[in-house]
Amino acid sequence: MSDDGGLSLLLLGPAGATGLYWALYRYYRNTDKSHAYERETTVDAKPVTGSEHKVGEVKGTQQTRISGDNVHDYRERVARMGPD
Amino acid sequence: MSNAQSPPPPPSKFTGPGSPQEVPPAPGDLGVDPAALPQPLRDELLAPDPVAIDTSASELKDGLNHCPKCGATDVRPKPGTDLLVCAFCRNEWHGERVEEQFGFGQGLDQLEGTVVASGARDIEADAASLRSFKCTGCGAEVTVNTANAMTARCHWCRHVFGVNEQVPNGAVPDAVLPFHIKKDDAIARIRQFVDKRKLLALKEFKAQFTPENVSAVYLPYMIVDGRASADVAGKGEIETRRYTQGSGKNQKTYYDADVYQVERHVDFTVDDLPLESSRERGNLDAKANTNNIINTILPFDTKNAVKWNASYLAGCSSEKRDLDVEHLRPRLEGQLLSIARAQVVESVSRYDRGVRWEQEGLDVHGTRWVAMYLPVWLYSYHQPGKNGGLLHYIAVNGRTGETMGSIPVQQWKLLLVALTVGTFLEGIAIWILASQ
Repeated sequence: MSDDGGLSLLLLGPAGATGLYWALYRYYRNTDKSHAYERETTVDAKPVTGSEHKVGEVKGTQQTRISGDNVHDYRERVARMGPD
Repeated sequence: MSNAQSPPPPPSKFTGPGSPQEVPPAPGDLGVDPAALPQPLRDELLAPDPVAIDTSASELKDGLNHCPKCGATDVRPKPGTDLLVCAFCRNEWHGERVEEQFGFGQGLDQLEGTVVASGARDIEADAASLRSFKCTGCGAEVTVNTANAMTARCHWCRHVFGVNEQVPNGAVPDAVLPFHIKKDDAIARIRQFVDKRKLLALKEFKAQFTPENVSAVYLPYMIVDGRASADVAGKGEIETRRYTQGSGKNQKTYYDADVYQVERHVDFTVDDLPLESSRERGNLDAKANTNNIINTILPFDTKNAVKWNASYLAGCSSEKRDLDVEHLRPRLEGQLLSIARAQVVESVSRYDRGVRWEQEGLDVHGTRWVAMYLPVWLYSYHQPGKNGGLLHYIAVNGRTGETMGSIPVQQWKLLLVALTVGTFLEGIAIWILASQ
């Protein structure tokens, strides 16, 4: 096995210990919980409108997602547009 | 690799009194596979949670009001009167729901400007018998209906205080949502919640665990209806090609993608969004306090709230509102933006490599604010430590029974469990490496 594979296998122990620590900590302390208002509030939305146009291409990246993907991080605020 | 796009501008920091930045996990998502854990831990994780009545957005249920005489829930308004009638025993009593009386549920799509409910003055308040006190134990403010009691116990620190420590204020809400979950039920739910989290809990917490000390508390909220438009703009990527290069262990996967400038617009209304209107309870910093626990048991079936009457607070303590509409507006805007972002997700599903939103804008056309006391069963445990320690809450929604809590952890036990499992995994890793 290559050095890379061996090293990543050796990381299994520390990674597993850290992962389990945080999972159990959160299970007891529930620090990650809050009111899920995005799905628990009555929202009546009109059909979403919008536009899109191609602006470029990416070739030969090894990343599986766009960098800075925040499509599901609803609460991560980004730059505010000025009032129209 | 080439990318024609410049990196995204750094996001502007959201400076308002914000909600936690993290989207809470889906119900039942533990973040770890219980099947891989030792039996005692697995038993704890898989034990059932206290059952909560689902009052989520799609089906905010009505008609959970019990008849005070027979307990039946088959209760209907008597046509043409302000009375409720029990279909089982024909008992009639007063139950003025603010939703219908003041039209709080109507005209959402025509909301303009900021409409603030008149508050207690115009809704026959029992303000004269209400007094607010500052607790000398912890500084919390507690409201007492002096018609029923001249002393009270602070629900945060359990300090007993009297009428002479009055602070001059009397914020009375528009409406109140009476308790439905009885004390026995709340105790059972708290016990069930804690029983699922005992193995690694702090020893002193387990020794002092007395759920019978749970307090019935009315906490102040602003219930907000709103009509808004939101715009978001950013970049999305669609995969056009996937290929591998190299061979054997050096094989790597590469992706080609088209980059799009994506813009979305959504008009929407929200109905009954609850916001904490107490400055202290609205501070949801999970590192410094456990207020997020009380935040988690939202929402309530606020459609069933009744016109304010201090009699509902008999035997309960309550906390005074100390934030007004303008204080809460940044938090509301943050939540409206989050809701808008959640609404547009489906419309960008074709971008299989995800979307990076870079700009967002919000135009709030109209809001309507109603002050309300909402019922919470609260159990607290103070864990000594640095900076005054940490107050852990276990909260039960007084209407739906949704239960959430923060259980103090015995750190050395948790570390021992994590290290043991880690050592076990490392042993397997070394065994695999050695056997090659």
